[in-house]
Amino acid sequence: MPTEMAAAPLLSNVQFTNAMLLAISPQLIVAFGIVLSLLLIAWKRSRRMLQGLTSAIFIVALIASVPLLFNNEIPVTILLKVDGYGVFAFMLVCFSGLMVTLLSGQLLQRNTEAHDEYYLLLQLVILGGGVLVVSDHFASLFLGFELLSLALVGMVGFFREGKHAVETAFKYLILSATASSFMLLGIAFIYSQTGSLHFSLINTGVNGADQLGAELTNTFHALGMLLFFAGMAFKLSLVPFHFWTPDVYQGAPTPVTMLMATVSKVAMFTVLMKCLFSQGVFVQSHMMQLMALVAILSMVFGNVLALKQENLKRLLGYSSIAHMGYLLIVLLITSMQDINFAWQSALFYLSAYVLASLSIFMVLIFTTQEALLPGQSQQQAEDDTTIGSWQGLFWRKPMMAFLAILAVLSLAGIPLSMGFIAKFYLLTFASQAGLWWLIAALVVGSGIGLFYYLRIIFSLFAAPFSEQKAEQKVQQQAVSSDGTGQVQASGNWPWKGVLVTGFVFAGLVFGLYPDVLMQVISRLGELTEPLAVLDQTP
Amino acid sequence: MILTIVMLGFLLLGAFAWYMEGISSRAPRWIALFAVIFAAGLFASFVLGSGTSFAELKPLVRVPWIPLFNIEYALAIDHLSIILLSLTFMLALICVLVSWQEIKEKAGFYYFNLLATFAGIIGVFTAVDLFLFFFFWEVMLLPMTAIIAIWGHENRHFAAIKFFIFTQVSSLLMLVAIILMAAAHYQQTGQLSFYYSDWLALDLPLEYARWLMLGFFIAFAVKLPSVPVHSWLPDAHTQAPTAGSVLLAGVLLKTGAYGLIRFVIFLFPEASQGFAPLAALLGVVSILYGAKMAFAQQDFKRLVAYSSISHMGFVMLALFSFNTTAYQGAVLTLVAHGLSSGALFSLAGIIYSRIHSRNLADMGGFWSSAPRMGGFTLAFAAAAFGLPGLANFIGEFMSLVGAYQVFPVAAVFAALGLIGSAVYGIVLFQSTFHGPPGDKVEDLSGRELVISGSLLGLLLLFGLFPNMILEYSSAAGEQLALLSQGVSNLTGVTYAH
Repeated sequence: MPTEMAAAPLLSNVQFTNAMLLAISPQLIVAFGIVLSLLLIAWKRSRRMLQGLTSAIFIVALIASVPLLFNNEIPVTILLKVDGYGVFAFMLVCFSGLMVTLLSGQLLQRNTEAHDEYYLLLQLVILGGGVLVVSDHFASLFLGFELLSLALVGMVGFFREGKHAVETAFKYLILSATASSFMLLGIAFIYSQTGSLHFSLINTGVNGADQLGAELTNTFHALGMLLFFAGMAFKLSLVPFHFWTPDVYQGAPTPVTMLMATVSKVAMFTVLMKCLFSQGVFVQSHMMQLMALVAILSMVFGNVLALKQENLKRLLGYSSIAHMGYLLIVLLITSMQDINFAWQSALFYLSAYVLASLSIFMVLIFTTQEALLPGQSQQQAEDDTTIGSWQGLFWRKPMMAFLAILAVLSLAGIPLSMGFIAKFYLLTFASQAGLWWLIAALVVGSGIGLFYYLRIIFSLFAAPFSEQKAEQKVQQQAVSSDGTGQVQASGNWPWKGVLVTGFVFAGLVFGLYPDVLMQVISRLGELTEPLAVLDQTP
Repeated sequence: MILTIVMLGFLLLGAFAWYMEGISSRAPRWIALFAVIFAAGLFASFVLGSGTSFAELKPLVRVPWIPLFNIEYALAIDHLSIILLSLTFMLALICVLVSWQEIKEKAGFYYFNLLATFAGIIGVFTAVDLFLFFFFWEVMLLPMTAIIAIWGHENRHFAAIKFFIFTQVSSLLMLVAIILMAAAHYQQTGQLSFYYSDWLALDLPLEYARWLMLGFFIAFAVKLPSVPVHSWLPDAHTQAPTAGSVLLAGVLLKTGAYGLIRFVIFLFPEASQGFAPLAALLGVVSILYGAKMAFAQQDFKRLVAYSSISHMGFVMLALFSFNTTAYQGAVLTLVAHGLSSGALFSLAGIIYSRIHSRNLADMGGFWSSAPRMGGFTLAFAAAAFGLPGLANFIGEFMSLVGAYQVFPVAAVFAALGLIGSAVYGIVLFQSTFHGPPGDKVEDLSGRELVISGSLLGLLLLFGLFPNMILEYSSAAGEQLALLSQGVSNLTGVTYAH
C-alpha cells in the first residue's frame, strides 16, 4: 500500500524547472568540469593546466553557491532537496577541494608519470560530496556515497610505489565496501517498513509526527536505522568502526588525507543529519541512547588512543575520531524545535574543524617539502612526520608555526580560536538538551586531548638542537644537491606565504569575531528565531 | 575605555618589543618597562582623576561582541578590582625588573608573552560579561604556559602541561556553568544574557544554584589553589622562570580568590553558605597541609610554593566565613601575600642567578658575603610568617578573628598554621644564610635593591597603615555580611556580622 503513495510525488515532480537547475548549478558545474577536464586531457596532457582548470571549476562552483545560500528550500525531483544548510556544507566541501587542489601540485610534480587522473578523481570526490549534502532520498545518498568512496579509494592508493599504498587502499576499499553493504541492508529494512526511500516520511502517507513515532517503533525499522547508522559511522570513523582511520590517514598521500578529513567528514555528517532529522529518529529513545554511547566512546577512545602517537598524521586520525564524537552531540535532539540550532552548531563546528584541519595539513605539507632529504620521496617524508620533526619550527618559520598553533588550539577548543566558539555551541546545545553524560565525556575528552595537542605546540617552541639538525640537513642537501637540489628549489611555490597568512587571518577573525560567520549560518534556516532550543526546560 | 587601551597597549607594545628584538637585544626590556610604567600611570590617573566613587561596580564599556548570543564586551571596576589591579601593576613592574638579566634568549618573544599575560589578567579583573571573563581567563593562561614551557627550568614541559590541563579542565566546568546560568536567565526573562548585573537579579532555585556554584567553585579552587586540586602549583612555580613564579604567586592565584568573591559568593549567596562548612574545611586543610609540605621541601622555590597554598587557605577560610572582618582580612591577605611571595620568588631568582641552584642544601652561610640580601630575606620570611608590623599579620589576624565567630574549631586549627609558617620561614632563612661561611656570593645590585626595597616598603606601609586598603574593602565586606544575614538561618550556622 505505501508504495503506491510513494509513487505519486515521483510522477508529479519529473518536470525540471529553471529554479531547480539553478539550485543544483554548483553540482552541475563540477560535473560539467569533469567532462571538460577529460577533453583537456585529450587535447593536451599538462599537469599544470589541469590543476588550474580544477581550481577554476571549484572557484566557479563556490561562487555559484553564494546566491543559493539564503534561498528557500527547493526540492529538485524527489532525489535532491537544496536548502541553505546543504549549500553551506557544499561550500565547505568545495573550499576543501580547492585547497587540496592547490596543495597537490607539489606532490604530483615529484613523480615522472603524468597524473591527470588524480585531479579527475578529486573532482569526482567533490561531486560525490556535493550530491550527498543535498540528497533527500536514499538513492541519491547511496549514489553520492559510492561516488565519493570509490574515487577516494583511487586517490588513497594513487602512488602505488609508496610504502603503504597497497595496504592502505585495500583497507579502505574493503572497509568502505563493508560499510556500504551494511548501509544498503539498513536502507532495505527501512524501506520494508516505510515503503519509501524518501528521507522525509511526511509526504509518504504517514501523516503527522504523532503517528510517525507510533508507527516506527517496530524492530525492523530500528534495525534498519541501526545498520544505516553503522554504515555512516564507518565513514565518520566513530568508535567502534574506527579501526581503519589511523592506518589510512597515515598511509594516504597527505593531500588525500586532508580530503578525507574534510570533504568526506563534512558531506557524510551533513547527510546523516538530514536523514536522521527527516526520519524523526529522535522519537526512538533506544537509537538515541545508542548514538549517545557511540559519541561518548568516540570522545574517550579517540583521545586516549591519540595520546601515545608520535606520527602526526596518525595522531590527527585519532583526533578526528574524537571530534566526530563531539559533533555527534548535535544529533541527539529532543524535539523538532532543536533542529535549527542543531544545524547551526553542526555547521559552525564543521567550519571550525575544516579550517583547522586544512591549516594543519597545509603546514605539514609545506614543512616536509622544505625539510626533504635528497633521495627521499615527499610522500614517504610526510608519512614519517612525527611531532618531533616540527621541533623548533616557531623560531625558523614563525608564520607557519603560528598557523599550526592556531589550528591546534582550534582543535583543542581554546579561546582565540574558532574551535572554542564551536565547542561553546556544542556545550550550549548539550546543556539545553540535558545531555549531562555527554558533557562530562566532552570535558574529560578535551582534558585528555590537551596532552597531545600541547605536545605538538611545545615541540614547535622547543628550541636548540633542531636548529643544528636543520642546518645539517641544509648542508647535506648542499653537498649532494648538484642534480636534485635544483628541482626542489624550483618547487618553491610563490603563493605559499599568501596562503599561510590568509589562513592565519581567517582563523583569527573567526576566532575573535565569530559573529561574521554566525550571522550567515543563523540566516541559513528559514526560521529566524535562532535560539528556539532554549525555550524548553533542561 | 582606558582599560581597553591599556590592554591593547600591552599587546601592541609586546608585539613591538618582539619586533625590536631583531634590531637591538636590549630594546625589548626597555619597551616592556615603559609599557608597564605607562599603563600604570594611565590607570592611576584614570582612577584618581575620575572623581567618582567605585564603591559600587562601575561600568566602563559595554558594546556588543557576539550579538547572536547577546555576548558583550563589558568592563567594569569597583574597589576590589582596583586593589587587585594596582597589585597587578606593581608586580608587573617587579616581573619586568627581575627578568632584566635573567632572560637572554628570545627576549622579544618573552616580553611579548609577559605583556600579553598582564593584558589577560587585567581583563579577568575587569570583565563583567561572563563569556568575556572566561575568554580572558583562558587568554591569560596561554602566554603564561608559554613562559613556563619555553624559559622554565629543567622539567618545564611537564610543569606547563600540568598547569594548563588543571586550569583548562576545571574552567570547562565553569564554562558549562556559565552557559547554564545564561540559559536560566533566558528562561526567566526571555533573553539570553551573560552580563553580571543581570545575573545578580536572577532568582535561582537553590537546588539548581548549588550545581552551578560548584562549577564555578571548582575552577576557582584550582586556581587559588585549594587542597585536593593544588598539585599543579608546586611544579609550575618551581619550573617557571623567576618572573613567571612572581606572576603566578603574586597575581594569578589572586584571580582565583577574585572569582570566588565576585562570582561564587555574590552570585550564589545561599548556595555558597550551604557549602561554607566544606569550603572552610578545605581552607584549614590547605593551611596545615601547605605548611607541613613547605617544611619538608629542599627546593627554595618549592618551599615558597607550598607556603602559598597555606596562605591561600586563610583566604578561603575567611571568604566563606561571611563576615566583614574576615572578608577584609582576606582582601588584605591577598595583597600582602602577593607582595611577600613575589618578593621571596624574586630572591629565589636572585640567588639562582648567583649559584645556579635552587636546592637549599647548596646554600648556607651567605650572610657573611651578602648581608643586605640576608636582611631582606629575613624580612620577607618574617612577613610570610606574620610578624606584626607587616601586612600579612594584619590580614591573617583579621581573617582568623572573623572566622572564629563562625567556625571556631576551624579557626583554632588554622591558627596552628601560623606556627607552621614560622617554622618553615625560619628553616628557609637559616639554611640559606646561616651556617659556616660558604661560597662568596655577590650582594644585591642596585636593580635588585629597588625590587626588594619597594616590596618591603609596601609591606611595611600596609602593615602599619592597613586602613589604606581596609577602607576600600569595608563596603563590600558589609554587603557580604548583609547577604549572609538574610539567609543565615538556611544553613543552621549563625553568621556574626
